[in-house]
Amino acid sequence: MALAAIGLPLVVTNAFALDICIRVFQFAFIGVAWNLLGGYAQQLSLGHAAYFGLGAYTSTLLLIRAGVSPWIGMIAGGIVAALASLPIGALCFRLSGPYFAIATIGTAQTLMLLFLKFRDFAWGAVGTTIPNLGNSPLMMQFASKATYYYLALGLLAVGLAITYWVGRSWLGYYLVAVGEDQRAAEAVGVNVPRIKRDIYLVSAFLTGLAGTFYVQYIYFIDPNTAFSFNVSVEAALVSIVGGIGTLWGPVLGSALLEPASALLQSWLGGGAHAGVQLALYSVTLIVVILWRPTGLLGAVTEAYVWIVRSTRPPASGAGRAIRKGAPLDG
Amino acid sequence: MADALVVRGLSKRFGGLRAVHDLSFSVGEGQTVALIGPNGAGKTTSFNLITGYYRPDAGSALAYGHELVGLYPYDVCARGLARTFQVARPFGRMTVLANVVTGALLRDKRVGAAQERARRAIEFVGLSAKEASLSRDLSTIDQRRLEVARALATEPRLLLLDEAMAGLNHTEIDQAVGLVRQLARRGLTIVIVEHVMRAIMALAQHIIVLDHGQKIAEGDPKQIASNPEVIRAYLGTGGYAHG
Amino acid sequence: MTTVVAQAVVNGLLIGGIYALVSVGVTLIFGVVKIVNFAQGEFVMIGMYISYWLATLIRLDPVVSLVVSMPALFVAGLLLQKFLLRRVLGLGDMPQIFLTFALSLLLMNAALLLFTANYRTIQTAYTFSALRLGPLYLSVPRVIAFALAMLLGAALEVFLRATDLGKAMRAAAQNREVAMLMGVNPDRVFGVAVGLALALAGAAGSLLMPFYPAYPTVGQQFVLFAFVAVVLGTLGNVRGALIAGLMMGLAESLGVQFVGADSGLIVVFALLLVTLAVRPGGLYGGETR
Repeated sequence: MALAAIGLPLVVTNAFALDICIRVFQFAFIGVAWNLLGGYAQQLSLGHAAYFGLGAYTSTLLLIRAGVSPWIGMIAGGIVAALASLPIGALCFRLSGPYFAIATIGTAQTLMLLFLKFRDFAWGAVGTTIPNLGNSPLMMQFASKATYYYLALGLLAVGLAITYWVGRSWLGYYLVAVGEDQRAAEAVGVNVPRIKRDIYLVSAFLTGLAGTFYVQYIYFIDPNTAFSFNVSVEAALVSIVGGIGTLWGPVLGSALLEPASALLQSWLGGGAHAGVQLALYSVTLIVVILWRPTGLLGAVTEAYVWIVRSTRPPASGAGRAIRKGAPLDG
Repeated sequence: MADALVVRGLSKRFGGLRAVHDLSFSVGEGQTVALIGPNGAGKTTSFNLITGYYRPDAGSALAYGHELVGLYPYDVCARGLARTFQVARPFGRMTVLANVVTGALLRDKRVGAAQERARRAIEFVGLSAKEASLSRDLSTIDQRRLEVARALATEPRLLLLDEAMAGLNHTEIDQAVGLVRQLARRGLTIVIVEHVMRAIMALAQHIIVLDHGQKIAEGDPKQIASNPEVIRAYLGTGGYAHG
Repeated sequence: MTTVVAQAVVNGLLIGGIYALVSVGVTLIFGVVKIVNFAQGEFVMIGMYISYWLATLIRLDPVVSLVVSMPALFVAGLLLQKFLLRRVLGLGDMPQIFLTFALSLLLMNAALLLFTANYRTIQTAYTFSALRLGPLYLSVPRVIAFALAMLLGAALEVFLRATDLGKAMRAAAQNREVAMLMGVNPDRVFGVAVGLALALAGAAGSLLMPFYPAYPTVGQQFVLFAFVAVVLGTLGNVRGALIAGLMMGLAESLGVQFVGADSGLIVVFALLLVTLAVRPGGLYGGETR
């Protein structure tokens, strides 16, 4: 499958199709970033757009005001986003569950309002375009869509690799423990606040990278898109639909939702599209929640499956049967 | 005998309620001590105070000479105190093995090594056959065993067991008592909160009795059994469960 | 200067009545059913549209239309609990959050598609009337809204304290297992709780119509204020939510007066963040964090 993904642009040259693929990779990547915090550690953030926007604005500001290459800007954006997650986390983690989610919504909204007001600093509500430099690889602008495709794929691969490594390491166990029962985790020595803080850093950093890619691909940024609630929703949505707390969940979710959304956009066009899209997203979400709350990859989260698979197979065949045939609904 | 745990003047109020008041006791290294008392006496609250879940209003708790008050539960655990909960709290999404590995990772972050140690703890409590089962699918008793295994995996020097015997039948109590005895033989210092008399009598070298948050008696099992204060405290609330 | 402040205070308290009503609804559902209803604001919106169409089609005064919007939303609440909320009880945070969240999105966008994004207003005989209290102006529709909101709040309090069903609700809120052991039917109690909460939301909507426009996303700001109020007023505490709701109105009004026009939201969030920073975390007194 990986080979197919790599080889695709050589075969498919249709710009629309490539665009859809890029969108799929983009949102899969954002979903993967969200999933580390929201899927494994079960800290359900609905404000990840904050980091998306911070990443996007950081690299754009560096590019336009200082001529810095977006490659550097991307890393800088990620760092800015990660740093922002520290005070945001410090405050929001004091709340649990739904109230944490609300607080995160609030932070993204606040940032949007701030950037809407800062006309001198960051172009305010009108936003800005980035200068079209033609084919300029050093400045992250490419003539061929295929290059963007590979860039998006590369980012996704990085996200997946990080998730894979985390899942197999001690951090994976600790994250799931935090997600399951914070008090019980503390009783066995898990420094819960630090774990939450650290994974938030990583999640925010990756989301910031996604923001930069977005600006470089779309050539435009404004507060309403950068800190858009839709971005926050989609980050969570692709993970939930595809399989929360799993490695491939966000990819699966994105592969299902993004093409549908793109087709909807081209079919309905313009204003009506936004409403219908969100309405359909919400119906999808409701259906998934009622039918398979842990997403399409099943109730047996892959985090758990790896943890089991990474052990030597148990001596008894019964043990293996229990693992493979584990009930799908908890 | 050196002291594993020294509690001095521990006090905690919740609003108007005095949950624990001026509690002091010592636990020698290697001893098995029981904390008993009628419901609401403050036993679990004492555990929570010692292990960092609540901050006491006053008093101190020294473990191996180090002050525990002010530490968070994960630091308390790192110092060698492990505890179980009255109602077992497994990490439901994880298998039995993964649960215990999470505990084992405290001392050594290498997953492979942690799995080895986890397996040993699982074997000790008798859950090896169910190593790959989802912890939320286990029976209550097995979840309790898991709880103990997970606590043991953190390699504690002092183990606090909160009503581990509640609801067990005779055979199970005997098994559990045997397990605790084995741990004691290995040198573990153990403090149990218990209602089950049989277990208390079989295990405790020293008993501390709480009522309404205060210590009302302290001594060896024989002394406690014949202590009029203790009898009065229990009679007032309907007595204790015979194991 | 003091007149300006006093006027801001008055305006803030008056609108605070509506915030209080919405907050109480959220608290009721959270306290009894233990679910945070992200869609509460959308039910306010539905109440507004109901009153709007009744006023436009049959010239029914919005305040009078309470008798339509409240029962309608009560029934909606029963259905919501029966078909959706009940299915996610005990499943954990994630399904519960995203279910009501998705519902909120669905209702907003359905309204968008059905009614378009246009602002809908109505004018009653008293829309622009105001009472004078010394140097202060009290806008009549707002006074009516405030008075009725407080009345409904008081009625709810009475219900919770004096009636069997109300007491059953409080029991279920405090300890579900024990309540069930004592014969409380959780489904019925939960249904009524959600029904009442949504009825209050509908009432808020109807009361708003004389002086507030209806549009698909109007519920969002109310629910945001409500959530902050619920957190401030201690989760699950009805009286606390009421008072905090009034405070929210006050804070917003003073913020608009002294900080700037769009600052309502920022002031409220600043309040939330400051409270979070200062409050010793944890929901249970005595925990170390």
